[in-house]
Amino acid sequence: MGRKAKDSLIKGVIYLATGITLSVLLFIVGFIFIKGIGLVNWDFLTRDFNENVVYAFIESNDVPLTIDEETLNGKNPYDKRYETHLEGPIYVENIGAAIAKVAYKNHSTEREQFVITYIEKDSPFNRAIDSTGKSITIGTDYILQSINGNDFTSLTLAEVAETISAESGELKIKVVQPGGGIKSNIITTLYMVLLSLIVALPLGIFGAIYLTEYAKPGRLVNMIRFAAECLAGIPSIIFGLFGMAFFVVALKFQISLISGSLTVAIILLPVIIRSTEEALKTVPMAFREGSLALGATKLQTIFKVVLPCAVPGIATAVLLSIGRVVGESAALLLTAGTVAQIPGTLFSPGSTLTVQAYYVAKEEGNIELACAIGIVIIVIVIVLNILSRVTSDKLDVFNKK
Amino acid sequence: MDTNIKFNTKNLDLFYGDFQALKSINMEIREKEVTAFIGPSGCGKSTFLRCLNRMNDLIDSVKIKGEIIFDGKDINGPIDVINLRTRVGMVFQKPNPFPMSIYENIAYGPKCQGMKDKNQLDNLVKESLMKAALWDEVKDRLNKSALGLSGGQQQRLCIARTIAMNPEVILMDEPTSALDPIATAKIEDLMSSLKKDYTIIIVTHSMQQAGRISDKTAFFLMGEVIEFNDTPIIFTNPHDKRTEDYITGRFG
Repeated sequence: MGRKAKDSLIKGVIYLATGITLSVLLFIVGFIFIKGIGLVNWDFLTRDFNENVVYAFIESNDVPLTIDEETLNGKNPYDKRYETHLEGPIYVENIGAAIAKVAYKNHSTEREQFVITYIEKDSPFNRAIDSTGKSITIGTDYILQSINGNDFTSLTLAEVAETISAESGELKIKVVQPGGGIKSNIITTLYMVLLSLIVALPLGIFGAIYLTEYAKPGRLVNMIRFAAECLAGIPSIIFGLFGMAFFVVALKFQISLISGSLTVAIILLPVIIRSTEEALKTVPMAFREGSLALGATKLQTIFKVVLPCAVPGIATAVLLSIGRVVGESAALLLTAGTVAQIPGTLFSPGSTLTVQAYYVAKEEGNIELACAIGIVIIVIVIVLNILSRVTSDKLDVFNKK
Repeated sequence: MDTNIKFNTKNLDLFYGDFQALKSINMEIREKEVTAFIGPSGCGKSTFLRCLNRMNDLIDSVKIKGEIIFDGKDINGPIDVINLRTRVGMVFQKPNPFPMSIYENIAYGPKCQGMKDKNQLDNLVKESLMKAALWDEVKDRLNKSALGLSGGQQQRLCIARTIAMNPEVILMDEPTSALDPIATAKIEDLMSSLKKDYTIIIVTHSMQQAGRISDKTAFFLMGEVIEFNDTPIIFTNPHDKRTEDYITGRFG
């Protein structure tokens, strides 16, 4: 075979490899999007995962319907994941809202429920308060279960409408806010990112400063570096086991936000140390000499000259870290738990998006929902990427000519 | 003792690990003069210069023996190095302005010493830039990055930055070797005018430069000072054969 033929063969292989890589990537992202995009909407992002039962207090007040029956029937707020339309809707004047009967599926059970399909502009629902007097939001898609103690179970739609119309004055209505959203997971993820960075960033940066600026090259430094490299290569489930044994059990932090974020902080340390170290190494020796020759102390030199030059590198470290936290699942499964709630304190559990994706896929077999969560994760990572690139460009001292 | 003597080195030896880079240097450097160090590459002249404000501390393998008396004290002894460096400033071979604004570059040293007053700093920045003959060129862009200046301007900025500390001595390590002839001429003019107020010690590869600007010249070879004398004598009537060979271009 001639040299030319050999060259073009190898070139072909290189092109092919690139093509395969790219198409695998596109295929995965495409798969996730096609599977999950149907479920991503505003409610999905802003609702809790679990149902919320509240008692709403409203003042009954006759509100005439301002739209015609046909439009009312066309209103279709059902979330097809959970609800199948059975009857209605019927407009009830004294609460200024239309209700319909649906088959409501939650997790593995299915029941008949009455949901609000339409709310008039002047409806008393818009001024609803809870038992403490705080105003609450009642929206379409919410489930009504009882009024002034009269339970709706096993009634027909017409009977329910009658029951409601029969009441007057102050009404106490049992309302269920449907679940299925991932608001708590988004917020837990943000908490996790923030907390773990607050712990890991100073530690990592100071560690890197020690390694590049203070440590005399020798066995100790090599050992620290080797240790950091080893840490970076250890699978995160091992850190999860450690976090579970140490933070959760030994320190009695329980399965909680704090246990999770400290465990993740340990996972982040080597990433931050390595990239900050690389960034510090690229700062020219001449800057350090220049600063010292002006009578600055070593600390002044590091904080006023060396670190600002290393900011773009540190920003990269932050980006990598955020990606790591958002993507972490195994360690958090063991230390932060799978409870889909907004952690009220540092010591309450909460599941991040990835853990939630694992949970719904594994425990509920709901691949579509897991893919929808996947889309949110991908979008968050892309947005963070762009943000950190923009900020690191803005902070780059060498860019400002 | 002659009070005009700024630095007096006695039997100074310097080692990089096992390699002896300076061999028994004895030299008296006088106040408010320009002293030039010449010699071929690797002869130890930069190393010696860096001894004078302890910049060699940054290199781990360096060991120093002998004395450098500055102001009656041996600076190799237990002294305040920070204080020494504020009194003995240094300008490097490659212009190394910090990646900050022109103003911040000048104000950096005084700020590190704790100067906070805005007016005082403003005046100091202006005065230093004027002394370094850079004020007219940069007065409208003090808040722009120093990295946008030309090489020659950057080097004058570094000199201004050093002047802002009001040092007694300015060490210059081949300050014009990275500059074009016009920028070089400007820096040389600047040195002549700074001579009135400061003691200047300069390392240079250009013998013409040493001849043009210095009062005293030392010729270094293989870590030794071969000859140290008034500049005209070194260039017209050197006592040592090796000096003559070097300045006439027979080697080096």
